[in-house]
Amino acid sequence: MTTQAAPVTGTRRPDRRRDLAEDWVRRLLTPAEPLNRIAVLRVVIYLFVVWDTFMIVNDVQPHAEGPQNLYKPLLLRRLLHLPVPSPAYAHTLHAVIVIGALVAASGRLPRLSGTVVAAAFLDWVSIGMSYGKIDHDHFALVVATWALPTVGRARFSDRSRSEAAGWALLAIQLGVVATYFFSAWAKMRFGGWDWANGSVFAWAMVRRGTDLGRALLHPTWLLRAGQWGLLSLEALSPLLLLPRTRWRYAAVALFAGFHLVTYLTIKIHFLPVVVCLLAFLPLETWRPRSRFA
Amino acid sequence: MDDATPPGANGTGVVRLGRTSLMWRAVILVVGVTLAALGTARWNDDRWPFAPMSQFAFAVGRSSEIRSTHIDALTTEGTVVQVSLSPGGVGLGRAEIEGQLPNIIRDPVLLQDIAVRQRVIHPDQPQFRMLWLRQRVTQLRDGAPVGTHDETLATWTVTP
Repeated sequence: MTTQAAPVTGTRRPDRRRDLAEDWVRRLLTPAEPLNRIAVLRVVIYLFVVWDTFMIVNDVQPHAEGPQNLYKPLLLRRLLHLPVPSPAYAHTLHAVIVIGALVAASGRLPRLSGTVVAAAFLDWVSIGMSYGKIDHDHFALVVATWALPTVGRARFSDRSRSEAAGWALLAIQLGVVATYFFSAWAKMRFGGWDWANGSVFAWAMVRRGTDLGRALLHPTWLLRAGQWGLLSLEALSPLLLLPRTRWRYAAVALFAGFHLVTYLTIKIHFLPVVVCLLAFLPLETWRPRSRFA
Repeated sequence: MDDATPPGANGTGVVRLGRTSLMWRAVILVVGVTLAALGTARWNDDRWPFAPMSQFAFAVGRSSEIRSTHIDALTTEGTVVQVSLSPGGVGLGRAEIEGQLPNIIRDPVLLQDIAVRQRVIHPDQPQFRMLWLRQRVTQLRDGAPVGTHDETLATWTVTP
């Protein structure tokens, strides 16, 4: 049902206006991007999802063991009538994610395998967050698992660009920017300006600081400056969405650097967001420089 | 779904979307961004993934107390150990215990779960006979730590 876009010439006036609007939506929300970029990103995202279930949200199996008095299912789980996780349920779900993600990473049955992974991974992560603690580092990755299957087939050798690819990349980018920008908003909602002027970084360093992190407790203005820096960085994150320039890559590097620092100081890595930062980069140019394709 | 126009062999063209495909994609983006905004502006954790992006989003006064929760256990071997609050330990994290602190203080029987988890996950290790929910309190003065002490919030004698 896809059509080649008709050139906007010689049409009657109302049609012309509609075509102009459609053209504007196209340029804004579905800018044609290289399909082979999706091919590369897909491999990275799906392999990361597998790794994630073993290394990050790796508490689903342990959670499923033993009594469930501390299980407080999220609204999503209650609405969808998702079950209280049993060890068998957790094992099965894990197998579905791993097999589905490996198939999806290989590029086979991209819509089917991708949708299975998206649903199973959402189930998995929502179990992990139903025991009294929410992490907001998985928002963009969950978006990515739902966005990628909508592209359909995308090969490494593909030289064409696709609007579906552009939309999927934009959705992931929005997931990343939402994570940062709404973090700044939440800081204002729950902490106000006292967030930036207070000692929240000292709180983090005292509770879970590495040697490097604890070393930063003195002088005290250092962490306070860091708080202002982070708040500004997050508030300005929508600039990432501006058209691709050297500035955009610099901004991506800046955010990646921030995550590196939090890892070195408080052992929080936010890798699920970092991997989605790749959606801002021209990944297709990183293919091995062989000339077969 | 939207079948793309074949771009030709090993194509170099642009694969466009039909009008319907374009419309639902536009609607999803608008709805998704709106829900995410509402999540942070008004909702709470229960609505995840449309929950506030609120990790570390609270103000800490420059002369406040910093509380860090842990659980101590008297084991069947007579030693007092700190319970490992991790996936590899009793399968619950420190932040998860802290998220349910008021419930546990009101109803210390919830600590029984910790002992049962140890029994199920680590049957070969020493088991817990008594559990203390404790916090290490670090006092800040003008942003710098000046002293620490421990407080006990709840005690539970494990039932066999």
